Amino acid sequence: MKINTKGRFTFPGGTHPPQSKELTSESEIRLGPASTQVAVMLSQHTGAVCQPIVKKAEQVRAGQKIGDSNAFVSAPVHSPINGKVKEIALQSHAVLGRSPAVIIKADSENNPLKQPVFGKFTGDFNEGKYSAEQICTAVREAGIVGMGGAGFPTRVKIEPNPRLPKETLIINGCECEPYITCDYRIMLEWTGQIIAGVKLAKKASGCSKVFIGIEDNKPQAIEVMRKALKETGNDDIKVVAVKTKYPQGGERQLIKAILNKNVPTGGIPPMIGVVALNVATAAAIAEAVVCGQPLTHRVVTVTGEAIANPGNYYTAIGTTIGELIEFCGGITQKAAKVVLGGPMMGIATADLNAPITKTSGAITVLTKEQIGSAKFARRQTACIRCGRCIEVCPENLNPTKIAHAVKNNFLDVAESYYLNACTECGCCSYVCPANIEITGYIKTGKILLARQKKKMPE
Amino acid sequence: MLRNITVSCSPHISERLSTRTVMLDVIIALVPAMIAAGYYFRIRAAILIATCVISAVATEWLCNAIRKKSNSLDDLSAVVTGIILALSIPPALPVWAAVIGSCFAIAIGKMIFGGLGANIFNPAMVGRAFLTACFGMLMTTWTVPATIDSAMPKIAADNKINARTQATPLAWSKQAIKTKTQAKVVNEQIEAAFTGEVGGCLGETSTFALLLGGLYLLIRRTINPHIPLAVLASAFIFAGITYLINPDAYISPLLHLTSGGMLICAFFIATDPVTAPLTAKGMWIFGIGVGTITMLIRIIGEYPGGVMYAVLLMNAVTPLIDRLCKLVPAGGKPNA
Repeated sequence: MKINTKGRFTFPGGTHPPQSKELTSESEIRLGPASTQVAVMLSQHTGAVCQPIVKKAEQVRAGQKIGDSNAFVSAPVHSPINGKVKEIALQSHAVLGRSPAVIIKADSENNPLKQPVFGKFTGDFNEGKYSAEQICTAVREAGIVGMGGAGFPTRVKIEPNPRLPKETLIINGCECEPYITCDYRIMLEWTGQIIAGVKLAKKASGCSKVFIGIEDNKPQAIEVMRKALKETGNDDIKVVAVKTKYPQGGERQLIKAILNKNVPTGGIPPMIGVVALNVATAAAIAEAVVCGQPLTHRVVTVTGEAIANPGNYYTAIGTTIGELIEFCGGITQKAAKVVLGGPMMGIATADLNAPITKTSGAITVLTKEQIGSAKFARRQTACIRCGRCIEVCPENLNPTKIAHAVKNNFLDVAESYYLNACTECGCCSYVCPANIEITGYIKTGKILLARQKKKMPE
Repeated sequence: MLRNITVSCSPHISERLSTRTVMLDVIIALVPAMIAAGYYFRIRAAILIATCVISAVATEWLCNAIRKKSNSLDDLSAVVTGIILALSIPPALPVWAAVIGSCFAIAIGKMIFGGLGANIFNPAMVGRAFLTACFGMLMTTWTVPATIDSAMPKIAADNKINARTQATPLAWSKQAIKTKTQAKVVNEQIEAAFTGEVGGCLGETSTFALLLGGLYLLIRRTINPHIPLAVLASAFIFAGITYLINPDAYISPLLHLTSGGMLICAFFIATDPVTAPLTAKGMWIFGIGVGTITMLIRIIGEYPGGVMYAVLLMNAVTPLIDRLCKLVPAGGKPNA
């Protein structure tokens, strides 16, 4: 029987950028480069920065905790390799800013590449032997954070909170961002591990309903997940095919699509009884709880028209971007932009010494043709008030008004048009015929406003 | 650090769309109306369209040169203004008047506010209003389409309507309102109004051509359906009520929609994004305003066609409408 994988659910607004996933969607997850040196950032998450708990010249093992914090909203970091701490120094990173990192020089011998653990998860996985508390502790100790991009400590999300009881667990397998395929490959290859992780997260959070949302441009992933759930008798976990539309993988948009509920502006999903986790996070939970292994490796999609051999790689967190790009055959002459993440929300960088972090799902190297000549030259013309940005805004904001208020330094006006409700998905800039960097202005406005309110240092 | 690598804000890709493509779409959509104008008014159409476009473009160039601004001609918006102005003036208007109208439209209607995107009023309608104010006689002198046999008798002195050869359906409708008898005779014009074989402004006569262009814009999603629907629906309801009250005095609502500037307004003039509200709700208010004011002028006012003033009046309140129709975020207002 043919399983219907056509998505019916979605959210209002959004846009349809070219998918470009075919570059890597068929390449199996392979082991990444064996680094001679890694730089593990001490702040790879939302929340308090970790303090290093190792000293310079100290010998560390793979999986050893090297940074931790007493703060509630934080997550420890671990060494991905056996080696010696070279130094603890400030490291710049396009996404995370300038923050301390532990730099570890790898031992030349006895340093095997870590293998994925999906083989340990079979259909008869039973979460019954782990208590909710055990799961939460394991998740915290393993330093698991949201691997979809936001990097919010997962323990804080799944831990039961009497003030905000959780009912629904939503697993995000949308991967709406163009080019990226790491979650897709995980769903196909690590199916059992994801299901184990979902069951553990369900148990820990006390949710009664579980939905796995997958965009309908990945029919194979939908089928594989449905089949696996059926075979293991997990009928309470439902795979929901959602329409392929950017930003369907946004937490708020996915919740709107599946539950038809809006997360309050400025609020978080638990306010409406929802926990949302990425599929990669679910896989990491399973690994942490069952195998006791911390989050030291993740799948990174290295892609783009200017990469010689695009693919999905199981990479040590701390490997530099440059090393990973070299491992994929380097970048070609046509390269015009190196982006950490996908082309819609990713951050462009020119510094290839920045390390991979827990939240780096992809490195996309774009050519001038992909960027488009107008965008490449950043040529902007006057706003003709066509209203396309309003039509596509998934949060129903007035992007052009906010952008122009910020441009003219009227931050109070920008705030009155709900500047801070913006999720920075980039749809408005994507469709703007005048090529105005609307998202850029809004991002700038948020920072200026936070500074004005003294929430952020100058 | 890499050389030749750009660093900029996300998103890094964009839709292949520019102001130029938007304007080009409008020009393409106006082609049927221009062809109809050429068919019915022959060489006059070509002369006036060319005059308006050339003088509009030249004025924009001159204004940019005076303000020492970079050239903005490649966005084609001056061409669109020129064509719309040409299509909304009478075929017999002298070329010099068309030149004055176009220059005024661009210089005072648009450039003085700071160019495209900053103007409050629709430039083409500003130009037309200026022409109407200065050369009222010329702006209401109608010629008969070239396809009609000119040997047929012209308007009779005793107010007996001789179909097809008289002024415009709307001028007749004014007559009908006064005499309270002849509306039904005027209604016979509906077929001619659909093809365009009636007197009127250059590009406003052919309903068919305008609908074709409007449909193209809707399919290409260059315009939203909100404004055309609101304009046409409100005008239809207004005219329908008057028609139901006294079918002898008031012409049928369908004829109201197909004659005068109603359709070109609904699809091409009121939808000018710069001078219309941003939100869907605002667009409906704007469209209903345009439709209702047009019908008020047509039925109660002295002037036969009211589209121009309706659009200009609603343009003036657009900032207010935008302020009233503020969007609420999907997640509701934040608890401050």
